[in-house]
Amino acid sequence: MLRSEKKSLYRFFALYVSLITIAMVLLAFYYYESQRQLMLSDKRATLAQYAYVQTKRLKVLHHFFPERREYPRDPSFKSAIYDIQYNKIFSLLESEDVSFDEEITLKDGYIHYLKGLDTFYLGTRYLIIEIKDDGLWLQKIWHDLLLYGSIAFVLFLLLGIYLAKLFLKPMRDSIMLLDRFIKDTTHELNTPLSAILANIEMMDTEVMVEKNRKKLERITIAAKTVSILYKDLTYLTLEQEKKNEDEVLDIKAIIKDRVEYFDVLARSKQVSFKLSLGDATILMDRRKFTRIIDNLISNAIKYNKRKGEIRIVLEKHRLSISDTGIGIAEEKIPFMFDRYLRFNRSEGGFGVGLSIVKKILDEYGIRIEVTSKESEGTRMVLIWSE
Amino acid sequence: MERMRSVMLWMIVAVMATTQMQAEDIFERKCVPCHQALPTSLQEMFKEYLLVYSSEKFVKIGIKHYLKNPSRSISLMSDLFIDTYGIKQKTDLSEEELDQAVDIYWDKFKVFDKLK
Repeated sequence: MLRSEKKSLYRFFALYVSLITIAMVLLAFYYYESQRQLMLSDKRATLAQYAYVQTKRLKVLHHFFPERREYPRDPSFKSAIYDIQYNKIFSLLESEDVSFDEEITLKDGYIHYLKGLDTFYLGTRYLIIEIKDDGLWLQKIWHDLLLYGSIAFVLFLLLGIYLAKLFLKPMRDSIMLLDRFIKDTTHELNTPLSAILANIEMMDTEVMVEKNRKKLERITIAAKTVSILYKDLTYLTLEQEKKNEDEVLDIKAIIKDRVEYFDVLARSKQVSFKLSLGDATILMDRRKFTRIIDNLISNAIKYNKRKGEIRIVLEKHRLSISDTGIGIAEEKIPFMFDRYLRFNRSEGGFGVGLSIVKKILDEYGIRIEVTSKESEGTRMVLIWSE
Repeated sequence: MERMRSVMLWMIVAVMATTQMQAEDIFERKCVPCHQALPTSLQEMFKEYLLVYSSEKFVKIGIKHYLKNPSRSISLMSDLFIDTYGIKQKTDLSEEELDQAVDIYWDKFKVFDKLK
């Protein structure tokens, strides 16, 4: 699966799962609330009966007060009496947190039933009946929610996978098509490009007139530019999956070779190389290291000004390539390694070069430091460990 | 010095006790004698007030209103009682005395702290 595909899939799933979770939490809440109301309405009838009985007992107590002072008790429930201003006259309640706003309430594991009296026996305006909540309904709710909730979640997840595949199919098809097209095209480019470059090298420029030599030079530049692009594309489409063939590379020699290769390109813009090369080695795949150097040097030429300069300094674990070109704004530096991103469209290219560089650097744990100032130049420094 | 202090203390206690007794007196002097002659006790009448007014504040307001404006229409007693004993006279107590008497009445017969 491609990276862009994975990204789309993750995003879709994150959105889908969070929406499903929100919907399920809401449903669970409503289910809980409806079950609670159902349980309370079940208890309401019994509690109303208790309240009726207790009212009758209060009536009797009122009649015989103060000779009888014992508040009526019942093993089935606890009760309390309050006057019209909510002052407690007497209470046997376990939970004293009484609400006068609702007829029936559940709090701290106790169910309270509120009855308003029309005749205020002993001054009682409100009679509270309390019973303990056995919590069985809550256990049932948890059981139902966990069981049916997880079944529903798994079903939704499966549906999500099916939908994701359905939605991603067109994207996947077009990516595959593009990929195949690039692979075929790059493959077809190889033979003519090699023929052009080989024949240019075989040409004897000594016997050429000046006019033709310049023309040939331009052809060489164009062919080499296409060749770099070709190598980047083949690397991206075909070679990057190949196994690494790491070896100890003589960096100095490689840089000299690549500078020579790019010399014609540099000369066309009258850009000169300033080399300060110490001895340094690195354990790496030659193709990959060459891709790094080629891209950095070709960028340094491409974005340099005419008669500019490219300074390459090689130390033991450090390689610095700096140009005197257009530079890039500081805020854009973090994005310069993004694929297909090009800050300057006046130059050719696909914008894949630096993304390849970054990928290889990350693979080998090589650090890159970029310093740039607009219209002054850019410096890329590679730092690696032993 | 010590003696002076104990004398002063005695005097304060004496003054307070006298005031209390005077207040008690108002209820005993102004309410109890007439009610003793009636078949319905002050306790029973208090319970009638509780049945209708419920809380301390409203009971006191109810009693005071009736004592100031006694009439058949707002009396809590039965028609038979009123026909036999009539409506009481309008109170001649001052506002302060009335408050004191009603407060004592409430404290004497209230249900709070009496149930067990």
